[in-house]
Amino acid sequence: MSETFILFTVAGTTYAVRSREVAHVEMVEQVTPVPDAPPFVDGVVFSRGQVVPALNLRARFGFERAPYDVRTRLLVVQSEGRSVGLVVDAAREFIRLDGAQIQPPGTALTDLSGRYLEGVANLDDRLILVLSLSHVLNFVDPVVAD
Amino acid sequence: MTGDTSFFAGFMDDYFAECDEHLGAIRRHLLAIESAGEGGVDRAMLDDLFRSFHSIKGISGMVELRDAELLAHHLESFLRRLRDGEAQLTADGLDALIEGVDLLERTIAARREHVPSPPAGDVIDRLTGAALETPPAESATIGPADQPAPSWRITFAPSPQLVARGINVDTVRARLRAAGTILDATPRMLPDGIAFEFAFAGELDPETVEAWRSEGLTVERVDAPVVASTERSITADAGARAVQPSHVVRVDLTRLDDLMRIIGDLVIARARLEDSLRRIVKHVPAVEWRAVQENSLTIERQLRDLREGIMRVRLVPVSEIFRRMPFVVRDLTREQGKKVRLQLDGQHTEIDKFLIERMLDPVLHLVRNAVSHGFELPEERVQAGKPAEGTLRLTAAGVGESVVLEIIDDGRGIDAGQVAARARAAGLPVPAGPLDEATLLDLICTPGFSTRDVTDRASGRGVGMSVVKNTVQELNGTLRLETARGEGTRFVIELPLTLSIADALIATVGDRTFALPQPSVREVVEIDPAALRRVEHQEIAPFRGGVLPIVRLARVFGIPAAPRPRLHVFVIGAGQDAVGLAVDRIVGQREIVVRTMADPLVRVGGIVGATDLGDGRVVLILDPPALARRARAAEQQPAGAS
Repeated sequence: MSETFILFTVAGTTYAVRSREVAHVEMVEQVTPVPDAPPFVDGVVFSRGQVVPALNLRARFGFERAPYDVRTRLLVVQSEGRSVGLVVDAAREFIRLDGAQIQPPGTALTDLSGRYLEGVANLDDRLILVLSLSHVLNFVDPVVAD
Repeated sequence: MTGDTSFFAGFMDDYFAECDEHLGAIRRHLLAIESAGEGGVDRAMLDDLFRSFHSIKGISGMVELRDAELLAHHLESFLRRLRDGEAQLTADGLDALIEGVDLLERTIAARREHVPSPPAGDVIDRLTGAALETPPAESATIGPADQPAPSWRITFAPSPQLVARGINVDTVRARLRAAGTILDATPRMLPDGIAFEFAFAGELDPETVEAWRSEGLTVERVDAPVVASTERSITADAGARAVQPSHVVRVDLTRLDDLMRIIGDLVIARARLEDSLRRIVKHVPAVEWRAVQENSLTIERQLRDLREGIMRVRLVPVSEIFRRMPFVVRDLTREQGKKVRLQLDGQHTEIDKFLIERMLDPVLHLVRNAVSHGFELPEERVQAGKPAEGTLRLTAAGVGESVVLEIIDDGRGIDAGQVAARARAAGLPVPAGPLDEATLLDLICTPGFSTRDVTDRASGRGVGMSVVKNTVQELNGTLRLETARGEGTRFVIELPLTLSIADALIATVGDRTFALPQPSVREVVEIDPAALRRVEHQEIAPFRGGVLPIVRLARVFGIPAAPRPRLHVFVIGAGQDAVGLAVDRIVGQREIVVRTMADPLVRVGGIVGATDLGDGRVVLILDPPALARRARAAEQQPAGAS
């Protein structure tokens, strides 16, 4: 069973998210900061009339924030009834992956963003990290919570 | 591809809406059956129930929700046996039926929330088992056995097809005469022709009813015995029913949301037009200006009317929440050996659909809590000199622009000492001295506080008092508690009628803009910062002969802001509770379109939602009462925390 994925980059690494989980991809403009929100939340934006949080994936994965530029994108994803915007460095590609191509993350990746992964795929010698949205969107970090 | 998914999503929305409708009708019938006792089941009701289950089975099959389809199938078969007189509805059967409906509802809800279906358990076995009981020989029909002759309302609408089969009003009349007594006959005009309605008394066995129905007759059992003099009210009633369905349109809430959004955009566009008009006023001759001004005001008025019209469309009766409660109370009282009578008042009070959806769980929780913790066991009640049966009242009433919901029990009341002890045991700070009701409420609404084991089924379903309070506050409402030992407890929830558009004051702090709901602001004053004094870690300003604690929004939210020669201050709350919320500048008053900010990532204290002032940028809407509470809490803590 194969599915389509949207590829995006954060701090030089390529990630994938199922395209059926992505409502739309937008340019990032006019983010309103929200006081007391978690540090990895840039703020809120209007997306098609709805107010959605803008979650900065660089900050979420422990990288330094980068200023928004022309390639910065907001991926509005839908998961568990929520709509959340992911701020990523760039999002341009659309691919099809077979279920069998996705391997479990493995121990080497358990640091850094490893715990936000559902799996890893190798496509034409490129390493693609498949994101687990529910882990990324959960406010309480499972590792910290324990 | 997205086209496909959104088509399917829309399809599922229709499915859920349709299920809601059928389940609502089913619950109403079950309630009627239950309150009338086992003898109160009539054929028409069973027919309706049968049809509802049949429809749910069909549409569940179409969306491939197999669990719901199977369950609906068993419920349908059970109903068929009842309807056909193959089985009689016993107390066990009724229980199985109610449990089956409950499971069906949860199965459909699980699909809606994309979680696995709940386990079916033995419900299906019980349904098939209960249905196998055969009725005693002499009473093949279901109904009060001692009633002399049951009454029926039989309607015949002649058609060329029926006439061709030799069925006309005379043959119908002859047939009725042969089977019983015709009490009354009335011709009635229908939109598409004429119909004859007969009030009829006599015993009809299911076969006869079925045979007549197949010949185009409508056969309805009438509960009260029909006498000739009631003929007028019957026709009026039947007429109303015949007309109703064609005048009701079911609308998807998201479509109304779209309309509301468009109106919101219009409101913003008009506000901008008003701004531009104000800028050009001095360049326009007075005579022409007046015409422009008049038109602008007319548009404003019409916009307001339009907005109110849409809001009215969104209103639904509060009975959408209330009608579920009898089942909850019934199950819980049975489980816990309590006796509770449920009284529902003001069910027709209307409230925004969105609020109804959000308030269902909190009201459910309060009702469960009342039954589990509020009411004593019957023997305890008798010992305390109270009737063995407790009364739980749910009331709803519209008060101006708000709706007040009350959940009132005449149980044991809340034991303040016990609450304090539990709170201390849970490590929560408890003020010394006697606890007033507001403090009591704060304590029981603190996450982590529970008056009984969390595994207690009734209160262990994930919705605690803290969620009740949060939901009410999120909806811009208030929650109040009144309780008296031995006499009972009353929870009062006050909610705005609708959330979508509100009047607001717009203020700036540094480079940020905020909106404040106008109703929460009592007064707006300007204060010279030099007049502020510092007492401990709290700034206070002289105000109306007293002092007003000042909270600087810039400090609360950590926004860099340059010192200002004057502070603009919103006075929030009255008397002892008054707090001044200081901002850099108040820039105006606007009608704003309120949008929720419900995602947990951005659900923070002091902010209730967001709006758009026309430039596409999100402006946060403050929650002044929460900010005032925060300020009071900060008073008790050393400086530097905020």
